[in-house]
Amino acid sequence: MSLLDDLLKSVINGDLNATQNQVRAALAKNIPPEKILADGLIAAMNEVGKLFENNEFFIPEMLVSARAMRGGLAILRPKLAAEDIQPIGKVVIGTAQGDMHDIGKNLVGMMLEGAGFEVIDLGVDVSPEKYVAAVKEHQPDLVGISALLTTTMPRMQDVLLALQAAGLRGTVKVMIGGAPLTAQYASDIGADIYAPDAASAAQRARQMIKA
Amino acid sequence: MTKREVIQTVLAGKVPPYVPWSCGFTKEAGARLQEHFKPLELEEALQNHLLKLGSDIGFFTDLGENHVQDVFGVVWDRSIDKDIGNVVGCVLQDATLLHYHFPDPLDMRFFAEIPVRIAHYTDRFRVFQIGFSLYERAWSLRGIQNLLMDFYDHPAFVHALLEEIADYNIAQVQEAMNYDIDAVYFGDDWGQQRGLQMGPKFWRQFIYPELKRMYSAVHTAGKYVFIHSCGDVDELLEDLIGIGLDCFNPFQPEVMNIESLLEHFRGRLTFHGGLSTQQTLPFGTDEDVRMETKRLLDMGARGSYIFAPAHDVEGDVPLENMLAFLELVQNQPGDREN
Repeated sequence: MSLLDDLLKSVINGDLNATQNQVRAALAKNIPPEKILADGLIAAMNEVGKLFENNEFFIPEMLVSARAMRGGLAILRPKLAAEDIQPIGKVVIGTAQGDMHDIGKNLVGMMLEGAGFEVIDLGVDVSPEKYVAAVKEHQPDLVGISALLTTTMPRMQDVLLALQAAGLRGTVKVMIGGAPLTAQYASDIGADIYAPDAASAAQRARQMIKA
Repeated sequence: MTKREVIQTVLAGKVPPYVPWSCGFTKEAGARLQEHFKPLELEEALQNHLLKLGSDIGFFTDLGENHVQDVFGVVWDRSIDKDIGNVVGCVLQDATLLHYHFPDPLDMRFFAEIPVRIAHYTDRFRVFQIGFSLYERAWSLRGIQNLLMDFYDHPAFVHALLEEIADYNIAQVQEAMNYDIDAVYFGDDWGQQRGLQMGPKFWRQFIYPELKRMYSAVHTAGKYVFIHSCGDVDELLEDLIGIGLDCFNPFQPEVMNIESLLEHFRGRLTFHGGLSTQQTLPFGTDEDVRMETKRLLDMGARGSYIFAPAHDVEGDVPLENMLAFLELVQNQPGDREN
């Protein structure tokens, strides 16, 4: 279907206007909103993730593609709601307590949104108590914690312990990422998923939902 | 040989009598070291070979409640990060310089202490520091996500902004040449843990031409060019050498193969840094630190290397780990002064 192919290309090219026009055109042609989302917006952001992993795309490309995707999604969202089409999962994200570096976390949020998740962004310097409160309130499938500093990495384990203490650890998976982190560290503190970058965060979250 | 001469030997690509060092510490880590070395001043105790002049991150007006404002008008919240802080708000709300005036590059605060510091540490190699030297200055004014999208949306604005920042820096470089300095140490992070933040295409299109102008201003005056740029940026080293870079920092072992880079570039580029601050220093034992330090000192014995942790040491590093590398570097055979 060439309209959806064009839509996919517009998102990959980061062209906000074309993306929104093509979403409108697809709706006007009665293409089901779910299909526009899956084969247009989500497929495009999946491709953006691959291009990022292959070092063909960098942060600017990811940002303009995410902006286009969000613009398209804004038009599509009322139609998805009208047909009761739910996101594939819900994620709460934030940076570790004491860590103010948020560009990595923001990219993860955009890529998760582009993968079809509903994203609740708690912002920066998020205490374990705030994560626990957000898990109680939103009942997400996944909690994502990001850290740039070695000094804030231990606060990630505090979140895991706080979720445990609140009896919520079994209800939610925990994903961690950030420059100094390793898969070994994730496993040592008992996190479920380690994501080395924003593209793999979205990919691994999706795999987790499908599993 | 004075410390200054040892660094000059290294920068000339020759074999030094021992591996020189210049180590930095955050306020928190530095305070613990100072406590250990007292009554000796930390700067005396460290015996660093580089004498840092000017100000790496600039000068600030205290706004109260842990907020400070730099000379560019950017407000920084230092309630959590006490060394640099985090930008509050956005000075350049729109992609235009129409209503923005750059500060005075010749503000005497950047230069006033230079003669006194040089007189006090006569034997050290003098570096005039210009931090946030291009891309970082731009994003501190415009917001990092805005700027990264401006590369696409407003290329003329990005060129104009970077050109003005480079002009400001060049004016400072020229003023610094009135003092007996040896090098200019720029600082501008371009990397992520893997790859460049803005990618090589935009780096070459926007960043490179301004670096070329800034480095040329330093070289024309017969001085050395140093750059600190965090992250995985080794793909740029040939370009940087091509426009006159003499020394690269921080040389992070987690993001680049430091052994093979030193072998490859020895004689053409000096590396400053190398000791793991993401793994060994905070999470290793003092013995791990000693082993890695010895390996780095062996690696640097043939030249083109200045030892340092690959970042200012953070507050989570145990005191014994800091002392472990300091003891080794300060007790090298060949270093007759210590």
